[in-house]
Formats: sequence, structure tokens, C-alpha cells
Amino acid sequence: MSSKPKIKELLAESACEHNKGKKGSCNAPTPGATTGGCALDGAQIALFPFADAAHLIHGPMSCVGGAWETRLTPTSWSGRDLTQTGFATDISNNDVIFSGEKKLAAAIDHIVTNYAPEAVFVYSTCVPAMTGDDIDAVCKQRSEKHGIPCVPVHAPGFVGAKNLGSRIAGEAVLKHLIGTKEPEETTPFDINLIGEHNNTGELWRYRHLLEELGIRVLSTFSGDGRIASIRTAHRAKLNVIVCAKSLVSMTRKMQEQYGIPWISCSFYGKTDTSKSILAIAEALGDADLIERTRALIAREEARLEEKLVPYREIFAGKKAVLNTGGNKAWSIASALQDLGIEVVATSVRKSTEADKAKAREYLGENAILMTSPATQQAKVIDDTGAHLLLAGGRSLYTAIKKRIAFTDVNQEKKKSYGGYDGLLVLAEDLKNSLQNPVFELVDRKAPWQK
Amino acid sequence: MAEVRHKSGKPLQVNPHKLSQPMGATLAFLGVDRCMPLMHGGQGCASFTKVMFTRHFCEPIALQTTAVNDVIAVLDGGDYSILESVKNIHDKVAPELIGVHTTGLTETKGDDLRGIASKIDVPLVYVNTPDYQGGLESGWALTTQALIDQLTEPCDRIDAQKIVLVPHVSLQPIEVEKLRDFIESFGFKVVAVPDLSSSLDNHLGEKQASLSSGGVTVAEVKQLADAAFVVTLGASVKPVGTTLQKKNPAIQHRHFDHVNGLQGTDALVAWLLETSGRGDRLPPVVERWRKRLQDAMLDSHFSIGQTRFLLVAEPDHLASMAASLREVGGKIALAISTVDSPILGDIEADQVIVGDLEDAEKMHDAYDLIIGNFHTEALAHRVAKKAVMRGFPNYEEVGIALKNDLLYEGGAYFLFEIANAAERMREEQVHHEREQIKLQRIA
Repeated sequence: MSSKPKIKELLAESACEHNKGKKGSCNAPTPGATTGGCALDGAQIALFPFADAAHLIHGPMSCVGGAWETRLTPTSWSGRDLTQTGFATDISNNDVIFSGEKKLAAAIDHIVTNYAPEAVFVYSTCVPAMTGDDIDAVCKQRSEKHGIPCVPVHAPGFVGAKNLGSRIAGEAVLKHLIGTKEPEETTPFDINLIGEHNNTGELWRYRHLLEELGIRVLSTFSGDGRIASIRTAHRAKLNVIVCAKSLVSMTRKMQEQYGIPWISCSFYGKTDTSKSILAIAEALGDADLIERTRALIAREEARLEEKLVPYREIFAGKKAVLNTGGNKAWSIASALQDLGIEVVATSVRKSTEADKAKAREYLGENAILMTSPATQQAKVIDDTGAHLLLAGGRSLYTAIKKRIAFTDVNQEKKKSYGGYDGLLVLAEDLKNSLQNPVFELVDRKAPWQK
Repeated sequence: MAEVRHKSGKPLQVNPHKLSQPMGATLAFLGVDRCMPLMHGGQGCASFTKVMFTRHFCEPIALQTTAVNDVIAVLDGGDYSILESVKNIHDKVAPELIGVHTTGLTETKGDDLRGIASKIDVPLVYVNTPDYQGGLESGWALTTQALIDQLTEPCDRIDAQKIVLVPHVSLQPIEVEKLRDFIESFGFKVVAVPDLSSSLDNHLGEKQASLSSGGVTVAEVKQLADAAFVVTLGASVKPVGTTLQKKNPAIQHRHFDHVNGLQGTDALVAWLLETSGRGDRLPPVVERWRKRLQDAMLDSHFSIGQTRFLLVAEPDHLASMAASLREVGGKIALAISTVDSPILGDIEADQVIVGDLEDAEKMHDAYDLIIGNFHTEALAHRVAKKAVMRGFPNYEEVGIALKNDLLYEGGAYFLFEIANAAERMREEQVHHEREQIKLQRIA
């Protein structure tokens, strides 16, 4: 049987609120009016953080040329960091005409011989999907030959957008890796972190706190992840989804197959970090653990508050407009509120219904939920008298035009804002932005202009 | 000359620096004013490209996609996706030109681009750029040919002062501007095709990115054929000369592989003097910069002359950097090209190969200093060397669009930057050695 996941099924995830009232999934992008990455992009983003696995793109250079070594997902893996190593079959004319299967097999051999990965993820792309290379067969045969998992990931770009690719990646891991190995030992407090990519080291801002409480991160999907541990993920007592709704299918299926319950968490800001750590302890259901967790939270919050004192004055009375994607609409808003900044507007363009409801809950009745931030944000800044715009790099020019401070909060930033300590980093960045004269100066008229 | 290996011989690319043909096409269309490049492929083909150039140039990038999905890939011959895209783009932003370029996906399904284009009545140029062939250079060159072939009106007059300049893809926006100003200082009028110097030159503008924000105008492309000369710069764009001559056989074609370093610039200047009829009267500023370059060569030769280089770049870019470095005794131990090109055989290097950064890593004993894209920085860390950033993509540095390496002026700055980097590298090595000796003495 083919390992290709059923796309329709993935698009109509039953655990997603918004699919209850919908008849079918509407997924076709509009020609000439589409932005955003494809399924391959999403699958790569989901799996690349496994630094002990090779990521082989079976496709031409558009699919990988500018896209490798771009994810800032650090690893503590002691071997060569394969997240930052680009592998591509670089399909040529010949491969299109005569099939690229032999080349793919030889490429896997080359990788196994030279880089000794714990697994090889083989990503299908549009061209071999059209020409019909049997990637499943090649992977199966190479897995047997080399004795490591070669996992086919059927996310050619034309099947859909990034979010779908992320689900497909989850399916591939569920089918080919999870449950293929038993852990050496188990504890009553074993959890999996699902959708935590350790972007800019975010996982490392709170993982030590979990460990201090005796909560063991059995595996992560996929930040600072290990193939050996994800294979044992079926023995966890709890799945924790971190900021990634796209992987809800994966956790729902793990609940059905292995009886693992799941909760959803965010580790941005003080309030949410505390809530999340407590939620994990409560879900694990041990009275002593819950009590110790409350003590740890109290300690960490007090420590943080003391360090935030110098910032309080700077941020008093400051208003911010937030234009970022998905769950960040409320998770970063919450962090800003922790700093005493009023969030007067946030973008919900790419948010799910649940995220929108949450944004409303966090921001209150008067806040503006922008559905078309590109056209709205300039006016919103005027109307609200905001002092600060937090957005992706492209919105910088809006901030300059409006002469207000700007902070980049997209995934290409190099510093982590996660956990308690991340809030201090965010505070420092915001302080620097607010105090920087550049936003006032750069759009100023020259002395000879009227 | 060099030992050249034209084929990689491996079944894959490991740590690739090769970029795709449609990416080169996108960039060429961005050098046309108020153009919307339209990549005919899956949404990811355009997205990967857009993200790469946005991060490289630190500028918003205008690029749309025909967003071919799995159903359309099977059922549509391209008509639906292209016609629908053109309609949607036109309704929204009314570009002067739509630049349709294909990808591996749409070439595999075999869309008839010419046929579809004939059904469209808005200004449009199309070009076949499957990404399983060629690379960045060929995508740029094919698009430039398509622009001229499909837009330029035939002509039988000649404007003796007019020069059409065709730069290769690796020239930075400021380099195109410097070159145009340089040629114009000899009394010519220059039109560059494509022209990134006013579109991606890091200027503060409106930044809507709904269309390209500068470049050669469509009207100028239509009027190219009254030029007295077409000057092609870089082996990859040499065929563009012939393309333009088809519009007017009276146009003379002058080709330069590069205009870097003393001899490279001298060759251009000699030709400009001869053609302009100025005799030996150099513009004073050009004369001054030549002297500054001569001095820069002497000041930098000691450092560069004892340095073994790894160059990683597109073929034309390799040829120009190698020429500059060779003039002051730099040893090009290894030049790694993205793709094959006839120019590779002319590069003065111990070894020239078509390959990837895995090849570079294996041969790390051969070189000291690396010049290449941002991926070479991680390579430099792994093999304990230093890297100077040049070429696509560079996500680590700002101000790339304003880096100028060519002509006398840029050549001087280039040599200084490389010599200083080499000295800092040796300084660290010496420091490290001394620390080692100290430790040994203490032990």
C-alpha cells in the first residue's frame, strides 16, 4: 500500500473546530493572486529540526537552492548538524525522461556512507510526482539495505500550502517512525512536545524548568529532536502541542492509536508560560507535582518581575499594533501585556477561528482584529495613536511612514522570545526600538524640501 | 590553463550553491520597470524564489505565481492558470509588463507557452525556463533574449551615441549603475537590459512591492534596435548580442567576459576611447581611479600574493573575481562553479569544477581564504578558514546591492577588502600559534 496520506482527510481534520460547519475543504489557490509557501516548504519546516536525520529533496534546485541553511533551529545533537546541510537530487533532463529512481537510490547511498544519519527523510516534489518515480519503493529498499529508516514524505508543492505540508510531515513520522522502538525506561511524567521547532532556541528557555519538576521530555517533534526518541513517542503519557495547530491530526491519531491525551500550550510571555507549565502538571494529574509546579512558577515569576522593573517605566502607557501570523496573534500579545504594553490591534489574517476567539479574549472588547493588515495597519496606527508596530520585515515601511518604532517578530529573527527569560529579551528589543531615533529621522524631509 | 571538471559525477548535490533557471528569469524581469514576474508553476516555486531574493536584497520582491495545483497539473494545458493569473494581476496592479516564466513542473506537463501567449492581449513576455536545465545565469540570459525577441521593434536607423549594455546576472545593482555612468562619461548614452540599478538598489521608496520599482522601461526595450553597439558583459549573455542584431543588422556587437581589475577595465577603456573618437583623452576621474587601482594593487599584492583562494560562484562571476585576484598574484587553488560554461576553461586556477560545497569541504587543504555566498561561512567554520561573502544568496549581510567590485574604482575596493580579510585571518592564525607555544612552554 502506498504511504501517501489522504489529502482530503488531512484537510478536514475532525479535531479542528472550523471543520465542523464546513461541507468540504476549499483549497485551490488563486492563480496570479497567491502568496505563501507550498506543502514541501511546510514539510521541510516541520522536519528540518531533526538534526540527526538527513533531509533529501528529490527535485530540481528551485525546491532547495535558496532554502537550505535558513531555519534557525539549533540542536544539541553532538554529530554533524544535518538541519544545516542541504541535500538535493538536482533532477536533470535525463531524470525527467528516464525516471530519477536510480539517482535517488544512489543519493541515499551517498548520504548514508558519508554522513551516517539516524534516518533519511526523502521529500517528493512536483516533478517526480508528475513523472511517477516510486519513492516508496526506493525508500523501502534502501531502509532494508542500510538498516535505518528512510522515510518518504509525499508533500509535492502542488498538493497545497505550507500548513498541509506540515500535516503530511506529521503523517509520515506517525506512519514510519513512531512506535518502531521501545524506550529504555519510562517515567510517569513522560511527555512529547509536538510542533516545538526550537526556533532560535525557544525550547531551551523552558525545557530545564520541566526537567527540574521531574517532567521528562521523551521526544520532540521536532525541535532539538532525535530520531531515536521520536520512535519511542508512543510511550508518552501526554502530548503537548506547542503553537502548531497543523499537527492536531497527528496528536488526535496518537490518542486513538496509543491512548495519549493532548493539550495545547504557548510559551510566549510570563502568563502563558506559567499557565502552560501548570497545565502540563495538571494533565499529568499528580498532586505533588502540581504543588511543586506552583512553587516553581511563583519563584520564576518573582525572579522575572525583579528584572523587569527598569522596563516598567519605559513601557507605561505605550500602545502596540501586532501584525503576525496564526497563534502569534494572541501569544505575542500576551507577552506584550505582561510587559505593561497595551495591544490595541492584532492581525488575524492567518488565524484559525479558535485563535481569533482567543485574540479577542486576550485583547478585550475595544481591540481591533485586523483581517487585512496590509491595508489596515497604517490607518489603525493613526486611529489608536500606537507607539510601536511589531510585524514581519515587510511592514517596516509602514512604521517608517508613520514614524513609530518597529520590532521584527517573524521567524527569521535570531533571538528567542520564549519562556520567562525570553520576555526579558523581548523587553530589551522593544526598549531599543522605542528609543531609536531612526524611525523619526529616515522619512524626514530634507532642509530644502517644502 | 586550469584542469576543468565539467560534470559533478555525483547522484546528488550536498550543500548546493546552484540556483535554478526560473530564479534567474525572475530576477531579469525585476530589472524591467513596472513589471510583474509571473512564475508558471506551483505556489512554492515562486515562494522559495521570493523569500530568497527578499532576504538577499532586504527589499520587497514583486513576484506572482500561476499556483498550479495537482488537479490543474493533470487537467490543464496551462491555458487556465496563465489566463486566469494574467486577468487577476491585471485587474489588481495593471503592470506595464507581465513576465511569464516556466518551471520544471509546467515544463514536465508540457504547456504550450507560445500558443497561450498568442491569446493574451496585455503586454506579456514569455520564456521557457525549466529548472531541471541550466541555472541562474541561463534563466537571466534566456529572459533577456525573450525581452528583446518579443518586444524590441526592428529598426534600420542607428543612433551613433547609443549603447545597449547587457550585464550578467551576478552583477550587483550598483555595479550596473557604475558601469553605465562610466561608459556615459565617454560621451555615450547607455540603456542597460535588464537594469537592476534602479529597482533593487536599496533605495527608500514606497516599497509596496506590487510591481518592480524601477529598471529599464518597456518603451526603452521596444526602442533598443537603434543602438550603435550592444555590449555584452559575461559569457552567459554573449548570445544576447546576436538576438539584438536580428532586429537591426547594423548594430555592432562588442563582448567582454568581465571588466574587473586593471586589464579588464583597460580593455573596456581602450575600446571606448577608440569608438568615441576621443583619442587618448581619458575622463580625468577615470584616469585618477586607474592610478588609485595601480596603487591598491601594490598595497594589496603582498597579502593576496601569499593567499590561496577557494572561489564559489556562478561561472561569469568566477571569471571576474579570478582575474582581479590573479593580477596581484592571488593563487586560485579551486574555483567551484554552479553549472558548466565555456568560460570555465579560461579561468586561471589550479582546478575548476562544477560542484557543490561538499566538494569544497573535501579539498579544504588546498586553500586559505574563501570567497562565496553566505553558505561558505558555515563551511569556513567547519574547516577553520575565513570567508568573504559574494554571490547569491547572502542572508547574513546588509548592503549587498551596493557592493561594487568592477572597473578601476570597484577593483581597488575589492582588493582592499580581500587583502584585509586575508590579513585578519593570518593574524588570528599567528595569535593561535603563539598561544599554543605558550601553553607548551607552561606544560
